[in-house]
Amino acid sequence: MARERISQADEWQTWAQRYDIEGGTRTFESGLTVKVFFGALFVGLLMMPGSIYLSYVSGQSGAAAAPWVAVILFTELARRSFTTARRQELYMLLSLTGAAVGSGMQYRSFIWYAYFVNTPQAVSYEIADKIPAWVVPAGDSVGVLSRSLLHPDWLLPIGIYLATKLLGTLRFVSGQYILFRLTADLERLPYPMAPITAQGATALAETTGKQETWRWQVFSIGSMAGLLWGFIYIGVPALTGVMMSTPIQILKIPWIDFTQSIEGFAPTGVFALRTDFSQMLIGFVLPFPVVMSEFVTAMLSQFVVNPHILYRNEILHQWHPGLDVRAVGLFNGLDFYRSYDMGKNFSLGLVGMAASIPMIFKLRSSKKEAGQRGSLATPPNRGDFPLWLMGILWLIGMAGFVWLIHWMVPNFPLSFLLGFAFLYTPINSYITARTFGVLGRDLFEIPYLHEITFILSRYEEIDIWFAPLPDEDYGAGTQGWRVLELTGTTFTSNLAATLLIMPILIISGILVQHFIWQIAPIPSAQYPFVQMMWPINATHECLMKTSLRDGNSEMLQAIRGDYVAAGFTSSLAIYGLLWVFRYPSMWFYGIIGGIGADPGSMVARLLGAIIGRFYMIKRFGLKRWFMFNPVLAAGFACGVGLVGMGTVAIALVSKAVIVKPF
Amino acid sequence: MEKLASIIIIFGTILWLVSVLFLGGSWQWQMFAALILTIGIFTAHFWEELSEGRNKKTPKDDT
Repeated sequence: MARERISQADEWQTWAQRYDIEGGTRTFESGLTVKVFFGALFVGLLMMPGSIYLSYVSGQSGAAAAPWVAVILFTELARRSFTTARRQELYMLLSLTGAAVGSGMQYRSFIWYAYFVNTPQAVSYEIADKIPAWVVPAGDSVGVLSRSLLHPDWLLPIGIYLATKLLGTLRFVSGQYILFRLTADLERLPYPMAPITAQGATALAETTGKQETWRWQVFSIGSMAGLLWGFIYIGVPALTGVMMSTPIQILKIPWIDFTQSIEGFAPTGVFALRTDFSQMLIGFVLPFPVVMSEFVTAMLSQFVVNPHILYRNEILHQWHPGLDVRAVGLFNGLDFYRSYDMGKNFSLGLVGMAASIPMIFKLRSSKKEAGQRGSLATPPNRGDFPLWLMGILWLIGMAGFVWLIHWMVPNFPLSFLLGFAFLYTPINSYITARTFGVLGRDLFEIPYLHEITFILSRYEEIDIWFAPLPDEDYGAGTQGWRVLELTGTTFTSNLAATLLIMPILIISGILVQHFIWQIAPIPSAQYPFVQMMWPINATHECLMKTSLRDGNSEMLQAIRGDYVAAGFTSSLAIYGLLWVFRYPSMWFYGIIGGIGADPGSMVARLLGAIIGRFYMIKRFGLKRWFMFNPVLAAGFACGVGLVGMGTVAIALVSKAVIVKPF
Repeated sequence: MEKLASIIIIFGTILWLVSVLFLGGSWQWQMFAALILTIGIFTAHFWEELSEGRNKKTPKDDT
C-alpha cells in the first residue's frame, strides 16, 4: 500500500508542537532581577575554575551542567525564605550562570597558542617565528615562558580580542534574532533540544510553589542518575589524579577504539565506542527517525561503503593496517570525505532554501496568526525587536569587524573580507539555524574555504591564517531564543542581562585562566585530554597553515571536484527520493549526518532512542514521555554538574596546595 | 505537479547514477544531474506550499 503524503509543513508543525509541551500558550515576563543577577555572578564565578580545569582533563567543560547547581541553590533559598521563584527568573539564572562559567573558556586560544608557538611541529614547519604579535607573544617571551596571562606581553592579543568581542556581541545578538524569526516563527522548525533547558527551569520553579508536580520527581530521578554517572566518568579520574601520576579511568576517556579489530573485514572502516553514555539522554530527546537513520547510515558507511566500494576502487588509498581511529579518519578525510562532505553540506543549504523560499513567496498572499507556520507575526509581549533595527545593528557590527581585520592584515584584499562578511556568513548561518531547528546540532561546515580564498587572493603571508575572518555562524544561537520563548522570558530582559554581565566576565575569565595555567604546564600529565589531543592538533594546524606554501598543498590536493559534486548530487538525490516515496524529511537529516561518521560515537544515543521509543513511550504514552524526557535530561545534566564540579574543585584545591615529592 | 516533481527527481537521480557508473564520474555531468534534482526539489516544495491544507495527516513517531 502506498504511503500517504505528509507535507513537510505538517511534519515540522507536528514535531514543533510535540516539543512545545505546553501547547504554545504562555505569558511573557522579565527574568532579570537583582537577586538573579548577583546569584548568577556569585555561583558562576565560583564554578568557572572547575569548568576550565575539566575541559583540559576530560575534553568537556561541564559548563552546560554547572548552572543547574546555581538554580538548585537559588530554589532552596527561595523555599526557606517562603518566597517563590518564577521560571523566567530561573531560566535567566541558568543563562547567566552558564555565561559566567563559560567565560574562562574564551581565553583558551591564548593557552593553545602559547603551547603551539613552542611545539617542535611549529618550529620544524618554520612558522613559530612568524605568528603575529596580536595572536601570541614570541615563544621566548616572559609572558609565555612564565605562563602568565597578566604579563604586559599579552596586552596586544587581549586588546584585539576584546575589540572583536564587543563587535561580536552586536553581530551575534542581531544575527541570531533575525534567523530565529525565520526558522522558529516563519518555518516552525521544532528545535528538539530547546525544551531540555526550558523544562528544567519549569520543574525547579514548581518546587518553590505550594504544589509540586511530576516534574520535580522526574527531575530528581535524572539528577540521581547524573550523580552516579558523573562520579564514574568524571569523579574517579579527577580524584585519583590528585594522588597518582596517571589517573584511574573506569571507562576509557574519550573512547575505546575497535578500529584495528575490524580492519580484517572492514579495512578503512572506523569504530571507536564513545564512552560518554550520558549521550543516551540526548537519544531520549532527539526525534527517533533522525537517530536511527543516522546510525544505520554510519554503519553502512564504515562496514560496506568504505571497505567494499571506496577501498576496492582505490578511492580510499592511503589506508594501511594498524592505524587507529584518528589516523584512519585523517586518511579517509584526505582521500575522499573532506571533498564529499563539502558537497553534502552545500546540499543542506539548497534544501533549506527550497523549503523556505516558497513560504516567503506565499507570505504576501496569506494572513496567518502568530504561532502558525508561514507567519512572521509575533506573540504579544514577547519583547521582540524590529527586524530593521536588528539588521542595522548587524551591519554596524560587521562593518566594524571587517575594518579591524583590515587593520590587522592590511595587504589582504578587502573584497574577500566583504564576501565572507556579507555573503557567506548569512548563508552559512541560515543553514546551521535549520540544522539546529531539526537535529539540535550543527552539521554545516565547508572545509578549506579559507584556503581556497587565500589561493584566489594570491596573498602569501602567514599572518592571514591567524586573523579572525568574518565567516561566522549565528545558527546555533537561535536555539537560545527558542528556549526564551518556551520559558516565557521576554527577549528584552535577556538582552539587558547579557550586556550587564559581560564586562565582569571579561575581567574574571582572564584571571582564572591565568591561575589554572600557573598550576601546571598545559598540556601535561595532569591534563590527560589535552595531552592526548593537542600534539596531533598541533600537527594538523601546521599542515593547515603551511598548506599553500610553495604552491604545494597536500590538504588542498585532497579537494576533488568530482567528489564534491558526488556529495552534493547524491545528497540531493537522497532528499528527492525520500520526498518521491513519501518518507519523512527527518530521515534526510539523519542520513546526511551518518554518511562517513563513526557509528561508535552514536551507540549511546541510539540506545537511548531505542529505549525511549520501544519501552518508555509504551510505558508512559507518547505525550507523557515527551513531557518527561526533557525534564529527565535536565535533571541528569544537573547531577553530572554537581558531582563534576565537586570532585574537580577538590582536585583543583589539592593541586594548588600540595607539592608532590615525585 | 506532484507527479511532475517526482519524474524530474527520478530522472535527475538516474542521470547521476549513470554519470558515476558509466561517464567516469565527471563533475560536469554530476552537477548537471544536481541542477535537474534542484529543479525537481523546488517544484516539489512549491507544490506543497500551494496545496497546503489539503493533506492534514499527523506523522507518527516511528515513521
